[in-house]
Amino acid sequence: MNNEYDVCVIGSGAGGGPVAWTLARAGHSVLVLEKGPWFHTQDFYKDELACCRRSVYTPELKNEQHVLEDENEDGSWTATPTSESGRDFWNGNCVGGSSNFMSGFFHRLKPVDFHQLSEFGPLAGSNRVDWPIDYEDLEPYYDKVEKIIGVSGKFSQHSNAEPRSSADFPFPPTQEHAISGWIDDACAQLDYHALQVPRAILSRPHNKRRSCEYSGYCGSYGCASNAKGSSRAALLNDAVNTGHCHIQPHSKVDKLISNAKGQVTAARYFDRQGEVHQVRAKIFVVACQAIESSRLLLNSSGPRCPQGLANNHGQVGRNLLFSAGGSGSGDFAYQDLSAEKQQQLKVVGPFVNRALDDWYVIHDPAFRQQAHKGGIVEFLFQHPNPTGKANSVKWNSDGKLRWGLPLKRQLESWFTTDRTLNFEVFNDWQPNDNCFVTLDPKVKDQWGTPVARVRTGIHPFDLQVGDYLAEKGKAVLKQMGAVRIRGGASSSPPPNLVAGGCRFGSDPKTSVLNADCRAHDVDNLYVTDASFMPTGGAVPYTWTIYANAFRVADIISARMTG
Amino acid sequence: MIRRNSVPESQNEMSDSQSGLQQWHSQLLSRRRFLLGLAGGSVAALFPAVCLPLSSKPATIDEWAILGQVQQHLLPDEADSPGAVKIHALDYLRFVVQDPWVDADERQFIVQGSHWLEDLAHSREQTSFLLLDQARREQLLQQIADSSAGENWLSTLLLYLMEALLTDPAYGGNPAGTGWQWLQHTPGYPRPPADKIYPKLNV
Ligand SMILES: Cc1cc2nc3c(=O)[nH]c(=O)nc-3n(C[C@H](O)[C@H](O)[C@H](O)COP(=O)(O)OP(=O)(O)OC[C@H]3O[C@@H](n4cnc5c(N)ncnc54)[C@H](O)[C@@H]3O)c2cc1C
Ligand code: SF4
Repeated sequence: MNNEYDVCVIGSGAGGGPVAWTLARAGHSVLVLEKGPWFHTQDFYKDELACCRRSVYTPELKNEQHVLEDENEDGSWTATPTSESGRDFWNGNCVGGSSNFMSGFFHRLKPVDFHQLSEFGPLAGSNRVDWPIDYEDLEPYYDKVEKIIGVSGKFSQHSNAEPRSSADFPFPPTQEHAISGWIDDACAQLDYHALQVPRAILSRPHNKRRSCEYSGYCGSYGCASNAKGSSRAALLNDAVNTGHCHIQPHSKVDKLISNAKGQVTAARYFDRQGEVHQVRAKIFVVACQAIESSRLLLNSSGPRCPQGLANNHGQVGRNLLFSAGGSGSGDFAYQDLSAEKQQQLKVVGPFVNRALDDWYVIHDPAFRQQAHKGGIVEFLFQHPNPTGKANSVKWNSDGKLRWGLPLKRQLESWFTTDRTLNFEVFNDWQPNDNCFVTLDPKVKDQWGTPVARVRTGIHPFDLQVGDYLAEKGKAVLKQMGAVRIRGGASSSPPPNLVAGGCRFGSDPKTSVLNADCRAHDVDNLYVTDASFMPTGGAVPYTWTIYANAFRVADIISARMTG
Repeated sequence: MIRRNSVPESQNEMSDSQSGLQQWHSQLLSRRRFLLGLAGGSVAALFPAVCLPLSSKPATIDEWAILGQVQQHLLPDEADSPGAVKIHALDYLRFVVQDPWVDADERQFIVQGSHWLEDLAHSREQTSFLLLDQARREQLLQQIADSSAGENWLSTLLLYLMEALLTDPAYGGNPAGTGWQWLQHTPGYPRPPADKIYPKLNV
């Protein structure tokens, strides 16, 4: 391996891929250091044990973990290592990162997300701010993602539609399930606007990637056709083919080494055998997924940054964000349906692709006098994994174990008498002083590096918004004739939908990165995962991560070519 | 699924609700702490709740025969629906107990539980669990389920029974998809060939 690169990218997921792709295509030498292994397309099967029940794509918690701080009723916080709690905060640690395992529900942010403070004013307990860039700055890159990553959909003009530069999506919508029509009917009756959701999934072959094969098992699973727009399938394979990009798996970076001028000179990493190496580059790009990116910077103190790299104002790790919201579901009992509808409902494979964004901004005096930031409701089938579902049947309603024939009858009833439609709610997680990353003072990973300690406090307002939106989801299920309708907001942070920690902004005292996502006080350090987001918006993040990483890649490329 | 829970699955359907999740978190925590605490402990120390006068239990027991019989009690075979025997649950459990990907404490716990059950059978019924009739087996298992250690053990066996029932036949359970057929479950494709099951992925 060469030991001096133009650019060293740390982390190969949605934040790292666009940088490697852009710079390698521009002829710069790029090294991608990825802590996990390199699974190839032919290693991905619909194997529930591998995907979801063993730590195959993520580290074992005894080797690498997090420490999570949960709030007690009296307002104090208890820190618990995840090796004790079993709460796994890893999402996918291999070449391509968690983008291999995403479900590919893709939403752009809306213009209002870029200036929430100006739009809605301050909120006590929330650190919301305006972004240093506007929707118009990101729009060309949202558009680029549609073409390069591959986004399938059909644009229809509606009151909340984001402005777009291309008339329509480059790929037609993915195949849809009959239940999508039922949702449309129910929404029309309720005077809601059912939105057809774009997906980062190819609906026809493109660039040596096959079209989706509609197996019904998508989220949490690696894709065997490369239809899913993971960083690995959509970007890294091409980047390697330029001959300018080297991807090095099993390379866990524990420290960025900086010099007396405050510039990063080398990345230090451990290989598979535990040997330490250093690699030099002109520019370093961190994209380890939000929590781990903050952790790496905090672990990288140097002569000019005793508190950690880019942390001279104590901002690294602060204002961490998750996707706030919640979820709900309703069951459709086969016995209540015509034979035709039963048949339709039992089909497995095509997608639901329906969401509501009517309350992206809530104008409802019954909720608040003034307009308030809301979010979206996304409909999807219950995840098809059978083992987890079966395992929960062993508990009866009194919390006692059930077994023998009663267990068998209950399994039959759970699996064969109905199908469950879920919804998930997405709204803003207000940046707040109780949601942040620090280094744990005691717990270390297998290489002796302090692990991230994460406090995950949520602002109470976010739960109110989540509940408001969940009621809309429940209303749709009711209108559709579902039974056992349930759901509401949740304060539990989804570990896969995480942003912030290195917010960008114009003031170095209150932000870590400038508008270009370059560290204010480190000239050759960029962060290109979701860490930059000062507010999260009310949709899953990945389209925005990809778009922003393409934007920053162009900035770096322009800088390098002078 | 877009939002991922940080816990693998929920105890009940309402897990998404706030209280359900918190309840589940605390249960999971106590289970993990419990497992961590037992590493290296003796069988008697493991199950203090039923620590009984020393019985006439023989020094060596057939752990796997006991585990097999417990599995059959927990998931009995019937004429028209598969149970532990038909889904090859015992073979599957052997795979689990040898699998380094499964928590070592949990694997030890599974096997140790058979000793405890046998202890209890000798103390309460003066004979081996293997020689008891269905009704007395049921009684003993109900007694175990009342202690948290026993409930954990049975719950663990049930988890791996569900895996044997519903995971890919490549792992040794669910032969020819018999569990999937019973519960009218459509598996995903492509399915893992024998040389691509997770212990064999070479990356
Ligand atoms: C089951 C699931 C479903 C999802 N569904 C959706 C969806 O429908 N829509 C959506 O928008 N988003 C979805 N997501 C989220 C999406 O996957 C993430 O937003 C996105 O992948 C984040 O990009 P990232 O670059 O920040 O992190 P990742 O893609 O996870 O990449 C980070 C990489 O950095 C590596 N790394 C970390 N630390 C180091 C280190 N110290 N040294 C070297 N390498 C390191 C990691 O191993 C990892 O490979 C889903 C995620 C999951 C898990
Ligand atoms: S083939 Fe389609 S359904 Fe299957 S994982 Fe890939 S994108 Fe998802």
